[in-house]
Order: sequence, then C-alpha cells, then structure tokens
Amino acid sequence: MKVVDIRSRMLVAGLLPVTLLAILLAVVFLASRFGDLSDAHSQRARSLARQLATSSEYGLFSDNITHLQTIANGAMRESAVRSVAIVDSQGRILVSAGKPGYTMFPMLAGKETEHFDPTKRLDLLCQPIETSQLKLDDLFEDKAPERVVRPTLLGHVLIEFSRDGLLKREREMLWVGLAVTMGGLLFGGFLAVRLGRGVVIPIYRVSRLIERLGQGELSARAIVLADDPLRDLQLGLNQMAEHLESNRDELEQRIAAATLELRSKKEEAETATLAKSRFLAAASHDLRQPTHALGMFVARLAQLPHDAQTSQLIGNLDASVRATQDLLDGLLDISRLDAQAVKVKLHPFALADIFDQLQVGLSLTASEKGLRLRIRPTPVWLMSDSTLLHRILLNLISNSLRYTTQGSVLVACRVADGGQVARIEVWDSGIGIAPEHHKSIFKEFYQVGNAARNRGKGLGLGLNIVERTAQLLGHPLHLCSKLGHGTRFSIEVPLLPPGTFVETRSPILVDSLGDLEGLVVLVIEDDALAREGLVSLLASWGYEAQGADGFSTAQTLLEQGLIPDIIVSDYRLLDGINGIEVIQQLRHVSGRPIPACLMSGDSDPGFIQAAKEAGLTLLHKPVRPAKLRTLVRRLAADI
Amino acid sequence: MRFFLRFLLLAYGFMFYLVTTVQAAELAVVIVSSERSAAYVEAEQALLSELERGGVSRYDMLQVTAQEWAGAGALKPKLIVALGSEAATVLAKAETRAPVLCTLLPRSSFERILRTSGRKSSSQFSALYLDQPLSRQVELIRLALPAARRIGVLWGPESQAQAPALKALLQSSGLELVEASVGRDELLFPALKRVLDDSDLLLAVAEPQLFNSSSIQNILLASFRVRVPLVAFSPAYVRAGALIALHVTPTQVGLQAAAITRGVLQGKSLSATPVYSHDFSVTVNEHVARSLGLTLDAVALRDRLRSREATP
Repeated sequence: MKVVDIRSRMLVAGLLPVTLLAILLAVVFLASRFGDLSDAHSQRARSLARQLATSSEYGLFSDNITHLQTIANGAMRESAVRSVAIVDSQGRILVSAGKPGYTMFPMLAGKETEHFDPTKRLDLLCQPIETSQLKLDDLFEDKAPERVVRPTLLGHVLIEFSRDGLLKREREMLWVGLAVTMGGLLFGGFLAVRLGRGVVIPIYRVSRLIERLGQGELSARAIVLADDPLRDLQLGLNQMAEHLESNRDELEQRIAAATLELRSKKEEAETATLAKSRFLAAASHDLRQPTHALGMFVARLAQLPHDAQTSQLIGNLDASVRATQDLLDGLLDISRLDAQAVKVKLHPFALADIFDQLQVGLSLTASEKGLRLRIRPTPVWLMSDSTLLHRILLNLISNSLRYTTQGSVLVACRVADGGQVARIEVWDSGIGIAPEHHKSIFKEFYQVGNAARNRGKGLGLGLNIVERTAQLLGHPLHLCSKLGHGTRFSIEVPLLPPGTFVETRSPILVDSLGDLEGLVVLVIEDDALAREGLVSLLASWGYEAQGADGFSTAQTLLEQGLIPDIIVSDYRLLDGINGIEVIQQLRHVSGRPIPACLMSGDSDPGFIQAAKEAGLTLLHKPVRPAKLRTLVRRLAADI
Repeated sequence: MRFFLRFLLLAYGFMFYLVTTVQAAELAVVIVSSERSAAYVEAEQALLSELERGGVSRYDMLQVTAQEWAGAGALKPKLIVALGSEAATVLAKAETRAPVLCTLLPRSSFERILRTSGRKSSSQFSALYLDQPLSRQVELIRLALPAARRIGVLWGPESQAQAPALKALLQSSGLELVEASVGRDELLFPALKRVLDDSDLLLAVAEPQLFNSSSIQNILLASFRVRVPLVAFSPAYVRAGALIALHVTPTQVGLQAAAITRGVLQGKSLSATPVYSHDFSVTVNEHVARSLGLTLDAVALRDRLRSREATP
C-alpha cells in the first residue's frame, strides 16, 4: 500500500506538469493558430476585395462591363470565393459571378464593411471602389478647402467568402494539435513511469529489506547497483545489518558460553550432591555397624549384676547409645527421602494397630520423663501407607514428649469433613512454639532455643521428616501452637470408603507367647564384634543363640545338628552372597521355612524392595534391643 | 519652433515699424507666401535675390505667410507680392493701399478669386499666371508633334471661355480642334472617350474639375489605351504619365516677379491685365515617348520655341 502510494505519487508528480504543459501548449498553439488562420482568412479576403476594387476602378471609370465581368470571373477562381458582384455608385449591379448567399442587398456606405452569416458560414465583404489618388503636388492644384478634390466613389465590390475551407483547416489543425498533445502526454507518461520506476523500485527494495531485517533476518543484504539513486541508503542499511548480525552472533556465543558454564556448574553441584548423599549413605552404614554392636553390648551389660554407681553409668551409656541410634535413624530417613527411595504403597489398615505399636514403643520414654502418654483407642480404618504414617506419628509424638516437661501428651483421632477424612491429632502441654517459628521448625536440623545443639533435645530432623513424608502421602499437616500453651499437630488421612473388604488379621499378642526360653536363634553376621554382641544379647534373653560369619559356617552348624528356630541375618555378607540368599539356601538345606529377619545398614531401595518380596522383615542397623526382642517374639509366634 | 521664429521676426518688424515710422514708410516689398513648400520657397528666393541684386535692401523686404498677413495689415509697402492662391485670396479680401501682384497661381484660380472677392483686375490687383499662353502651347505641339492634326481638348466650366480663342488659333495653324465639355456634375469618361476617339493628341487645360490628382490616372490610362499622347501644363503630369508639358518654373516666376517689382519701385504701375510668363520650360517623359515611338528633346524644344517667339 505504501509502495503503491509512493508509485502513484511519483506518477502524479511526473505526469501532472507534463499534462498541464501539454494541454496549455496545445491550447495556446491551437488558439494562436486558429487566430492566425482566421486573421489570414480575413486579410486574404480583404486584400482580395481591395485588389478587386483597385482593378475594377478603370472598368467602372470607363463603364467597361466586359472588363468588369472578366475581373469578377477571375476572382471566382480564387479559393473560398462564393460570389462576386460589382455595383456602381448608384447601387446598380453591373456584373456578378457565382451564386450569392445573401438575399438582401447590403447597405453600401462607401466604407469597407464586413458581415458574417453564421448559418451559412459566409463572409460578405463590401469594398468601395474609388478613384485612386495620384500625388501631384502641383501648383495648379487648388488648395482652397472647397476646391480640394475628393476621391470619387465609383461603386462597390461585394465579395462573399465561404468559411468551409477555414473550418476544414481548423479541424485539421485541431486533430494535429490533439495528436501532438496525446503524443506528448504519452511520451511524458512513459518518461514519468520510467523515471518513477527508477526511484520506486529501489524504495520498494529498501522497504522489503527493512521488513526482512525487522523480522530478524539479519543476514538479508541489499544488492547495491552502481546507478541506484538510493545507493548510499542501501550501503548504510547493509552496514547496519552487518553490525546487528555480528552483535547478535556475539551475543549468542556469549549466551552459549554462559549456558555451558552454568551446565557444568550444575553438573558439578549435582555431582557434589550425589557425592554428599553417597557419603551420607556410606557414613550412616559404616556408623551403624559399630553402633549396633555397641547397643547390643550395652544391653548385655545392663543385664549383669552391678553396683549402683556402675548401673547409673550404664544407664547414661545406654541413653547415649540410644541418642546415637536415633540420630542414625533420622539421617537414614532423610537420606532415603533425599534419594526419593521412599515409595508410597497405599493399603487399608486399622489405625488401632499403629496406635498399639506407638503405645508400646513410646510408653517407656514417656514414663521415664514422668509424662503421661494417652492414646485414645479408635475404630477407624484408613487408606494410606501404614509404615509411613507410623513414622509420622512416631516422630510427632517423640517430638511432643521431648518438648514437654510435665503434663501429658494426648493422641486422638476424629472423623472430620463429613466422614471423608480422619484427623489424627497430637496434643502436648509443652513449651509451645512462637508463631515466627511455625514455618522454620519443619526445616532440617532446626531447633527452637537449641543453639548449643544439646543432644538431649533431639536432632531437629524429626519434623522435617514428618513434613516431607506427609507431602509424599498427600496428607495435610497442621500446626497450632502458642508459646507456653502447648502444641497441637494434626494430620488428615483419608478414611477407608465404607464397604471395602478388609482382611483382618488377629493381633499379635506378644505377651501371650509365654516363655520363649530355649528358642534357637542363628545369627549370621560377618562383623565379628556385632555378631558377638548380638549373640550375647540373645543369650541374655534366655535364647540359645549361635553365630555364623557366613553361609558356609551356618551350613556347617546345620550339618552339625543345629536346628534353628529363627534366623537373624545381616544383608551384606563376606562370601559375596547376601542375607536373602543365605536365608533361602538355609531354608532349602533344612527343608523347612525357618522364620527369619534381615538386618542392614543399607538404605538402598532396591534392597529394601527385594527384602519385601522375599517376605523378610528388615531391621535397620543399629538395631535396638527392644525392637529386636519384639520381632523375635513375633517370629517365634509363627513357628 | 519655426512658427515661433517667424513670430519673433514679425514682432521685430512691428517694433521696427512702430519705433520709426519713417523707416516703415520706406518698406519696399512684402512677399506673402501661401505656404512654405519647396516651390514657394524657390520662387521667393529667386524674387528676393533678384531684387537684392537690383539694389533693393534686404531690410526693405518682408516675407510673411498668408496666415501671418492678418497681423501685418498696417504695413505700407510699395508692392505686395502674393505667392499662390491662398495668399492671393487673403490679399483680395484685405484693404491694402499698395498694389498686389498675384503670382504662382493658375489663371482659373485668379479669375475665381476675382469673382469671389468682387474685384477686378487692375493696376492695384494684377497677376502673373502660371498658365502658358495658348499660342505657345499650339506652337509647342507643332514643334514636338508635327504629325498631329486633330487636337483634342476637354473644357470644363472655368476653361470653357478659352474655347473660341483656341479654335481660332488652331485654325490659323491648320489644325483641327476636337472638343468636348464636361458639366459640373457630369461624368468625365463619356466626354473623354469622344475626344480621344477623334483626336491625335489630348491637350490638357488647367481646369481643376477635370484634371486633378483623383482623375489623372484614369485619364492617362484611357489616353494611353488609345495611344493618344497627353500634352500637359505641369511637370507633375509628365511624371504621372503625360508625354510632354509646357510650364514655367518657380524660379522663372520669381525672376519675372522681381522684374515687375523693380518696375513698380521705379514708379511704373502694374499691368491692369494679368500677364503670362515670358520664360518657360519644357519637360518630356522619355518612357512615354519611347513607348509611343517618339524621340523628343526637351531642351531643344524649349530653345526652338524661344527662338520662334523671339522672331515673330
């Protein structure tokens, strides 16, 4: 549109003056030519009339009609003469030639007159015939006014001219004029278009170029011709485009370099994180082994008779070992969450089972602190992962117990949201949390008012694990606390939809197992210290414990007549075969499904999965004596 | 400018006259000229120089034009010389004590002036004609065109009176007069045709109604067509196409007027009857002569004519 506009404007600018000039010239030329023709016609007519008058003078003077007729006939031979008449001074027609176009005889006034009849296009000229004056300048001439001889009027010549020829000439002239004008216009138009194109096309090219550049096509260049009127502009544009392109390329290179650097930094960071995780996993595994053994030994030691002072020392030792074990548990959970090794497995279960386990596991801690732990029985069934929910509640209750010095910790479950969810609440009468800490307490290793990092106050991992696990499960977690007025954590867990079939299992009544003395437990542990600790611990509980460092030793023991009731095996063993394989082979060798459990310091998800598939309970090192005892009793119940 | 100078001159004359009336009384001649054209100046100069040569002081002669004359009426010269018809007309009406000599005018004009002013030709008011006497014209015809027997003449109202004289003159010379008269409002051509048809030459008489600048061309054309030569009275007619003319030049007029003036100054009176010029000239149109198959020598003709007149 813009280009068209420029083109039409150029055309107008070129054509308008040419047109005006051509028309003006044509008009002036034609007008002047018409005037010339008309003047020439009139002059010719008048001169012919005068000539006729002059030549008729003598004929009139001498009354020579023949002579006059000859003159009139001669005049008729002239072009455009229609009629000629010669009249005498009295107005009588002496001679005439041609057919007069007038019917009325014109007034003869002795003067030169001219009359034009537009209908017939005839000019009637009247020319008086007078005696010609011969300048004598003679003394005989009488100069007295009354004696001066005037020219004598002899008669008149009436001559008619037709304007047909004139009109024909004018018409021809008009056509020629029009043809010349049109030719001029065409030529002018041609020139205007040619010259206009010479300007418009480069403008079009430049505008296309700018359009392309505007669309980001910076490699676009104008083809600069030597005779281009916009040569400088195009050169400038090319220069600009080059600058832009080089700048863009440079920028892209910089961005690419920066991206590369960032990527390598990120990879470094990831590598570092991975290294940290590996280190953490390795460290926790390697720490767990001796801590596990330590726990075994302390437990064994505590069962020996001691004096009061030693017993107190052993008590302190036991607390330290437990704290260390807690720390390792927390670190293990965090490392598993970090490694996204924790997979959610939803299944229906009765919340009462979890509450029972919690009551059993935490009553001792509560009573030790002089607190009352009340867990209200509940009949609800939930749809969640019981293991992860158990860990959440365990951490929440432990946390409450830790920060409560007196009073009680209450755990209760309410059905909320019209029977859709169960809200499990953990109440305590503890110190409370200031609102500004409500968000921060869920961070790793964050502890309110424990800048000195007193181990008795825990590690600061518990709530972090709780929040992350709850997020993993998709259960909303709430905190309601006021400094000095206790704390309430609540978590909402979906209820099992009504009518769902649930396979109920009779609760394990550990206490009803009665005396398990004499139970044969085969301990397979490659670490001699840990194996010895575990064996002595089991023996202190009244079991007949036998230790083996691997499959071959165990097989030897079996061949020597040992019939183990329960196998407790470490996962990683010396011979390059793992605990699962050892248990399976021993079961195969003995020919019966000996109840067994695994112990491991590994948090490798693949291993955990394999243990689950093999139907083996997995105890994470360091294994707490109480836990082990409970498990052994349960396994013994399956015999 | 010229008028202003002339006025100064006139004013000078007046002063001269008013201051010394004695001197004014002694003024000899006043020359009144009709106009200041070449012919008049020529005649005037001839007159003046001839008078001066004869002893008349330049201061005794005054030159004025006819228009200036009106204011110079109080002058008292011994003679007034009028040059041309206009001056003669003015002086004819003026009350002058001095005698008036009208010259450089044709006879027809003088006679008309006399008629219109009620004067008669006398020693107080006389004339020296431009016209040539008929006898001299007849003599010239006989000399120049001896073959011509029939002399054609057109008479007009003013010249008709000369017809008997010419007829007698021609008869005495053995020539025949072919004449025709043209009335005041008659067409010229029929009379001209009649004359031309029967004559060997056309003798033009100074008759303004017939021969004037308007008619001369057609007359010459008509005469030339029938190969009848025209004998005219003025060199202007010869230049227009007449064969020959017998005439007097302005100088000749001036010289003769000087002679008359001298006579008057010496106490003689003017001739009561107008006189013809003594001297004359002959002019020939050589082209016309050749086309008519004639050979004429103007000087020779004049000389022969003079010698004939000298020996009557």
